[in-house]
Amino acid sequence: MVHVLGINLPDRQLARFALTHFYGVGRNVSSRLCARLQIHDKCKVRDLTATQITSLTAFLSSPSTAPPVPRVPLASPDFKPPPASTPLQQLQAPEAPNVKAPARKSGNRFHTDSLVGLKIETDLRREIRENIAHQRMIGSYVGKRHAMGLPVRGQNTQSNAKTARNLNKLERW
Amino acid sequence: MRPSLAVLSGRSAWKGPYFVAFPNLREALQNNVPIKTQARSCTILPNFVGVRFMVHNGKDYVPVQVTQDMVGHKLGEFSHTKKKFTYKMSKNK
Repeated sequence: MVHVLGINLPDRQLARFALTHFYGVGRNVSSRLCARLQIHDKCKVRDLTATQITSLTAFLSSPSTAPPVPRVPLASPDFKPPPASTPLQQLQAPEAPNVKAPARKSGNRFHTDSLVGLKIETDLRREIRENIAHQRMIGSYVGKRHAMGLPVRGQNTQSNAKTARNLNKLERW
Repeated sequence: MRPSLAVLSGRSAWKGPYFVAFPNLREALQNNVPIKTQARSCTILPNFVGVRFMVHNGKDYVPVQVTQDMVGHKLGEFSHTKKKFTYKMSKNK
């Protein structure tokens, strides 16, 4: 059992899916996190190194203040990797020049970093609570439905509103 | 009523918000006279703040006092269209 930020991650699970145990992290965000922290696809939680765990904790404790990812240029097509017998010291990558990120054109929806505005656990729950409180405070339809414990997004109530009746509250989290 | 459309910003940003130009808006701001309207889909703009509207809900006009927090929403969100359901058993057979 690896403890990260108050959550126990089971050892036998793949790290990509173990990260979904955090509230606010699903499979997409988890895959992006693993890519960012260079955690292998098939890596299990018990195989995570200490540096990976510390970098994971550091990132998740405050995603907004995390340093941006350094962009490294890709290898050219005629790159020949050094032979497997070279010692590790020689393999350390030299200080690569920081390649500039592609300029964000207006309306460019494809090169956004979805980890930039990431919220997890308490921050996310607080945001949800504030949103519901805001809707209730202004007296909108959405606020009234939360107060009544009924579906908010126009679903049928003549039948099948069980989840909404159970979960829709003003003090949800 | 699809409030989720407002959340997903159902209208493209380049079109600008849908709103209705009220002719008596200035008078309403100065003398606090309510504006009677059936334009429930009108977006609340910042220059509407402080105005009292009477928004149609199909039958009556519901009073709505606009505040700063209401700015991105529509007038119809504050005027409920359905009566609350109450079950009254009738003894007629």
